[in-house]
Amino acid sequence: MLKSTGIPNEKDLESVIPPKERLAKGPVAIIECFEKIPCNPCYTHCARGAIKEFEDINDRPQLNYDICNGCSICVSHCPGLAIFIVDETYSDTEALVKIPYELLPLPVEGSFVTGMDRGGKPICRAKVVKVQNPKFQDKTPIISLAVPKELSMVVRFLSLEDYYSDSTIICRCEEVTLGEVRELIRKGYKTVEEIKRISRCGMGPCQGRTCQQLIMEEIAKATGERIEDIKVHNYRPPILPIKLGRINGGEKNE
Amino acid sequence: MIKTDIVVIGGGPAGICAAINAASSGAKVLLLDRDSQLGGQLIKQTHMFFGSQKQHASVRGIDIPGILVKEMEEYKDNIQIMLDATVLGIYEDGVLTIEKNDDYIKIKPKGIIVATGASEKFPAFPNNDLPGIYGAGAVQTLMNVYGVSPGKSVFMVGAGNIGLIVSYQLVQAGVEVKGVICRGPRYGGYAVHASKLKRIGVPIMPGHRVIHAHGKDKLERITLIKLDENKKEISGTEFDIETDVLCISTGLTPLGELLWQMGCEMKFIREFSGHVPVRNEELETTVPGVFVAGDVAGIEEASSAMVEGRLAGLCCAKKLGFTNPEYSSLKEDYLQQLHDLRSGPVGDGIRKGLAKIVV
Repeated sequence: MLKSTGIPNEKDLESVIPPKERLAKGPVAIIECFEKIPCNPCYTHCARGAIKEFEDINDRPQLNYDICNGCSICVSHCPGLAIFIVDETYSDTEALVKIPYELLPLPVEGSFVTGMDRGGKPICRAKVVKVQNPKFQDKTPIISLAVPKELSMVVRFLSLEDYYSDSTIICRCEEVTLGEVRELIRKGYKTVEEIKRISRCGMGPCQGRTCQQLIMEEIAKATGERIEDIKVHNYRPPILPIKLGRINGGEKNE
Repeated sequence: MIKTDIVVIGGGPAGICAAINAASSGAKVLLLDRDSQLGGQLIKQTHMFFGSQKQHASVRGIDIPGILVKEMEEYKDNIQIMLDATVLGIYEDGVLTIEKNDDYIKIKPKGIIVATGASEKFPAFPNNDLPGIYGAGAVQTLMNVYGVSPGKSVFMVGAGNIGLIVSYQLVQAGVEVKGVICRGPRYGGYAVHASKLKRIGVPIMPGHRVIHAHGKDKLERITLIKLDENKKEISGTEFDIETDVLCISTGLTPLGELLWQMGCEMKFIREFSGHVPVRNEELETTVPGVFVAGDVAGIEEASSAMVEGRLAGLCCAKKLGFTNPEYSSLKEDYLQQLHDLRSGPVGDGIRKGLAKIVV
């Protein structure tokens, strides 16, 4: 699959993602290099000896998770830009993902960008925590993004376009913005039902088909709950808006 | 007529390394290049190189000529560089003729190292001569040497390392890349290059071919068709894509005209994408004193071209009586480096090709 799509599959990724216990200890490199090619700078640049010595230059890198401290030296020296640093201890709800980024302009520290997945799809809003671009990195800046913890192994790139900015519309029927939803969550409305009742999100012609999951994601991000555990709003008839005249007087034969 | 020990034809990674090693062995070397600067294709390669530290891995291609030229300065008494010099021919008496800034110059060397590189292959389809259809090398020259954007949107034909890397460089230059196609069901370049493109949002579309280009005065649109697993066209799957640039990156073929002229035995080797000279392990062709290095000996990466250059320079000098004091250990090291670079799965084709051509 990787050799037709360019995207590693779950099995590929399993082999390079450290165990949970290690991720809980702090930053560590995720080396997404799945093909035997003649290349070894990751190993030769690792000052701690965390990447096992290559017997053959075509070897795939093998990382000792206990020796690696996530220093990120290898990130800017990998010609394939295939190494990322993940720090799941960044905060209670967020992980820090360090990404090699060779496009201009560079993101600005403190700004919000969009975290993209391995297929280039927007996944979440992400805060740019740091932009490292010292001379030794030779024009491969490293961008540190704060992303929701559950997306630490999903976000692998960024777009400067803030897809998830406050002005983005979440409920098209009732024209409710992401910023309004966030503000409600901040005020303590933490269920879809509550947000629906106070903002009319989901009460328009589509009855929540567009906005419900987006609101659930937003609640999950704010509260740290898993999206699986968030309750949907109540489903009551009618499923689509109809003219009151249709039901006025009941069924024809009634 | 200029007389010298060794002429190196081509100042790319292979040629520069050949000149360094021939000169460090004690031979007088004349290094020729038709461009106005040394480096060959390296001067367009803004990405980090693969390989090991010995071949400058993780250094950007554009920075490698500077490193090599600095190394060459150590032997400046033995190396003369002639730029803007195109070799026109090599004759039976071993004389080379050169055109340099409208001058016609003759050179008589004792040994020759040919490091002329490769040229691009071009696919045949109707209207493939429309302005806006470029080779990948031209796109890189415009973009990375002269800072000129080749167009607003580009469609890339060919998903080997060059196609994938140039697509990435186009995105870096702010050009929209609408897609990358290749005929087979799997792209040919390294997976890391493909992954890099995917997460940047460029579609990779194996199993497609361009069958038609359209446009009045310049390219406006292309027609693609889907191919099955055996690269056969599936009729009825044609579709159009609007683009103002079509970039062709369908492979390279060794540039061996001068070797033919000298009477070197040449063979068509599929794995090397064209005719390459029969040679021994030391890179000497069937014409004594004529050595080869780099893509002209078979299409490979710049890493192996540099090592081949060093080997050819060392061995050509030895042949003329200039034996490097460390000849044996150096030669062994170069052969080992080449062996290592070619030993993995991506070296399968190269090893197969070498088995047919090295005597």
